[in-house]
Amino acid sequence: MFEPLFLLQQALNGLSFGALLFLLASGLTLVFGLMRIINLAHGAFYMVGGYLGVVVAGLTGNLLLGILAGVAVVAVTAFLVEFVLLRFVRGQELPEVLLTVGVSFVVADLCLALFGGDPYTLPSSAMIQGSMTIGGLTYPTYRIFVIGVAIVIGVALALVQTRTRVGAIVRAGVDDREIISAMGVNIRWVFTGMFVVGAALAAIGGTIGAGIISVRPGIQDDVLLYALVVVIIGGLGSVPGAAVGSVLIGLIDAFAKAWIPDLAYFTIFAPMALVLVLRPTGLFGRTA
Amino acid sequence: MNRSRIVGVIAIVALIGVGVALPYLGTTAYVISLVSTIIIAGMLAATVNFLVGDGGMASLGHGGIAAASAYGAGWASKQGFDPGMQVVVAIGVTLVVSFVYGLLSMRTSGIYFLMVTLALGMVVYGLAYRLSTVTGGENGITGIRRPEWIFEYWTFYYFILGAFILTTLLLWVVSRSPFGASLRGIRDSESRMRSLGYSVASYKLAAFMMSGTLAGFAGLLAVWHTHFVSPSAAGVHRSVLLIVMVILGGVGTVFGPLIGAAIVVLVENVLSNSIERWPTILGLIFILVILFARDGIMGSAAKLVRRMQRRDPSPPDDTAPPLGGAEEPIPPRETTQSHASRKELP
Amino acid sequence: MRSTKTRARGRWSALAGLGAAAALVLTACAPPGAAPDDEGGGGGGGEQGGTLKVGYISPITGNFAIAGQEMVDGWNLYWELNGDEVNGVTVETIVEDDAGNPETSLTKAKKLVELDEVDIVVGPLLANTALATAAYTSSVGIPNLHPVAAADDLTQRSANDLTVRTGSMSGSQMNYPGGKWAAEQGHKTAVTLCPDYAFGWESCAGFKQGFEEEGGEVVAQYWFPNGTSDFSTYVSQIQSANADIAFVGTAGGAPGPDFLKSYLGLGLGQSQPLLMNCCGMDQATLRALGSEIVGFNSVSWWAEGRDSDTVREFSEAYGENFEGKIPSANVAGGYMTASLVAKVLEENGLVTGADLVSAIADTTFDDSIFGEVSFDDYNNFVGPVYIREVQEVDGKYLNVPIETYENVDQWLGKDPEEALSQPTYSQSFQGE
Repeated sequence: MFEPLFLLQQALNGLSFGALLFLLASGLTLVFGLMRIINLAHGAFYMVGGYLGVVVAGLTGNLLLGILAGVAVVAVTAFLVEFVLLRFVRGQELPEVLLTVGVSFVVADLCLALFGGDPYTLPSSAMIQGSMTIGGLTYPTYRIFVIGVAIVIGVALALVQTRTRVGAIVRAGVDDREIISAMGVNIRWVFTGMFVVGAALAAIGGTIGAGIISVRPGIQDDVLLYALVVVIIGGLGSVPGAAVGSVLIGLIDAFAKAWIPDLAYFTIFAPMALVLVLRPTGLFGRTA
Repeated sequence: MNRSRIVGVIAIVALIGVGVALPYLGTTAYVISLVSTIIIAGMLAATVNFLVGDGGMASLGHGGIAAASAYGAGWASKQGFDPGMQVVVAIGVTLVVSFVYGLLSMRTSGIYFLMVTLALGMVVYGLAYRLSTVTGGENGITGIRRPEWIFEYWTFYYFILGAFILTTLLLWVVSRSPFGASLRGIRDSESRMRSLGYSVASYKLAAFMMSGTLAGFAGLLAVWHTHFVSPSAAGVHRSVLLIVMVILGGVGTVFGPLIGAAIVVLVENVLSNSIERWPTILGLIFILVILFARDGIMGSAAKLVRRMQRRDPSPPDDTAPPLGGAEEPIPPRETTQSHASRKELP
Repeated sequence: MRSTKTRARGRWSALAGLGAAAALVLTACAPPGAAPDDEGGGGGGGEQGGTLKVGYISPITGNFAIAGQEMVDGWNLYWELNGDEVNGVTVETIVEDDAGNPETSLTKAKKLVELDEVDIVVGPLLANTALATAAYTSSVGIPNLHPVAAADDLTQRSANDLTVRTGSMSGSQMNYPGGKWAAEQGHKTAVTLCPDYAFGWESCAGFKQGFEEEGGEVVAQYWFPNGTSDFSTYVSQIQSANADIAFVGTAGGAPGPDFLKSYLGLGLGQSQPLLMNCCGMDQATLRALGSEIVGFNSVSWWAEGRDSDTVREFSEAYGENFEGKIPSANVAGGYMTASLVAKVLEENGLVTGADLVSAIADTTFDDSIFGEVSFDDYNNFVGPVYIREVQEVDGKYLNVPIETYENVDQWLGKDPEEALSQPTYSQSFQGE
């Protein structure tokens, strides 16, 4: 239970699961930060990305094609949801909740009709196979790869936010929406763009995640819950917060399963409640 | 008394009349049982509606409170206690859980309130799920008996019908009371109410205790209805559906929650008999209601009535129609004056 | 304005008073529908002709949609192949979806019994929904047939003469021979991983008792909560437990493939012998992982790769109707339940109530799709348990039996009274 190798392995288990959580939560938190929407259809986007990714990757034997297919379809879906539905209720929290819940119901049920109820996992032919041995530790290469993807995406998001004009517009939008409208930027399209990007991140998470947890009916609620927990702990709207929250939850989950198995699962929600009591806006959230 | 008010009163009387006469209209036990399910869900949704309508606090954790109460009754029943003791335990658990919810959420608002209550609901779910020696874990607790005198399905039906009418009346009265007006003041501007000397947090806590206690009562009725409780009663899915019922029916309206509950329960239990893709239908209903009746079914209906009234030659009436519920704007000056002496409540 | 309000309030209370008074008056006399119907219970027997109305509850949507749909498909397949008229009795089925939610199960059961007036209720699938439904149906005298539900207590502590397990075994029963087999293979130590609720406790208890009776020792037991999606921690723990064999049970669905994905990823496929239970290595897992798990072992009461004409015919018919799929245990359970009902109708004509259940329980089925099956005094399924191996046959992946334990009952080598006097299985009590 406390041997160094076991600890190291658990740490990697936690980090790789945390990496998946980051892919999942970063999109949700970005969308919230700019648009103040809790997108309850985020899990459904993950689900669609996962199913399509597995199917296409299985047919082509290529993980990248799978990811692209998932992203493309989810991006179009998200665009339609934003453009046709969400625009009409901009800024109204409760109608937004109902709309996104409705979208989630419809999408998940159509997935069941289309893909059946079987669990879908990435075929090993489309995955990075095998395991790496570092010192005395053997670890699956794929999970290391997931950590890598999360780091790359996290860094890319940070760079875009701090170094580019788009990033500047988004940051300005988070602080003060009126200002950027006054600057002549069409905030409506910025919103649409951000919503699509957030959904695309979920789709990437879905395909890559299908190598660790299979896609199945009900996954949309499970991953949404995880994403919400991470985002609440990290602070709504904060990408660094999402990163810290993901790693924290990933590690807590892994070690709790080993050390306090009777409380496993529960240990995901307890830290969230604790954070909310001590700091209702989350670790990195700005005070309301 | 204007025309819309008359219509409202007639509608309410008719509704109660139908409710009371229902078992004599040749309905089967199943229909009564289904209507009971709707009324209980409507009651629970009404407690959520009170918080969100008057207090602006959208709770995503009310399923947890109702479930905690149900577990209290279930545990008592498992220990072999009589129904009276079940009620005592259920109320005790409800009060404690509501107090914890209220205490932890009273300093938050808006989206953060949503998240705190969601988190607390998940904690209740986690406990129900993992504390299997007390809760029976995943399998839940079966065989929970209700008192003998409401054992028959139709006596129980009248019992919950009465409970629903009382709860609705109570929430309506509270909402119309000075306390309700202050809550709406807090909803509209916390900072203003704070600067007027109100203890905003205490008001929120009090509102939560009220809503939570009634939610616990609904949870007790639910467990008496099904004789059964399991962790799914505390799940996020259930809590989300509760707030969905409220929005669907119309936030802040008196009968909106019941309408919303009826739609959700009927789609889940009746439409699913004939349509395999019923979750899609349910999702589409949510979307269409928002697109075409943004204030929910009752809310939009009330708006429509008001718009028609405006065309009416009769003199305008400044009181809101009864169906419009909490949309009625309370003149802030008058409100604050009338409670200057009561601001440290409770 | 204020006075209007006060008046309005007065009106309201008057209304409420009126309503309450009316309610009181009305409650004094029971509504016409409330007269207690005295049907069910004893049941009728031996009539010719008529209709047997069957209410079939299964999770067709939600997280367990595939298992639920398969359970329905198996039932329907039988009637499609053999016609829905047996010995002059027409079998009419009403299928209801409970989405895996116990409250919905209960509402649907009430609907079927009270509105549709069905003669029997079949299903539902999940242990918690099954226990809730069985409690209700037995209270109103309607037989409840369980094609798949594995909760031990359905035919033990909650057993009654209206409840019968028709197409599966109880959780401990189906895994007990797995323990014996593992020990017979020369494994001295074992580590177990099961879901942390009744079905999991029962499954691992069955394996552990079988294993230890043959001289093995279970060195560590791990439990995963049902919401688990990432199994890497549990796989690491299994690895560091260093036991001769690992026994892993799941209740079907995603945990099977998810566990195996982690297990294969860590490279344990070659180094750590593994025995899975029925549902962790079901067709859903084989469809998801296929070639990656050829040669893997599992223990179950169902073996789709068994060399028998009955199984072959059933399997082919299912494949023709369902896009070449191979029948899983859920399909088999539904099909078996239908065959039993048909057999009883054939021999007795239309029987309902407790008579129907006792007729099923008196049945001995020499050549069912599960092999030779009979029922014990508690209405539980007694039959063979197979140790299976995943093999590729004509491009499809099947669980092929490599060893058979005949006539396995639910008492794990004890007598019923002794077994029933034990506490129910839990993490801390796994049998003596």
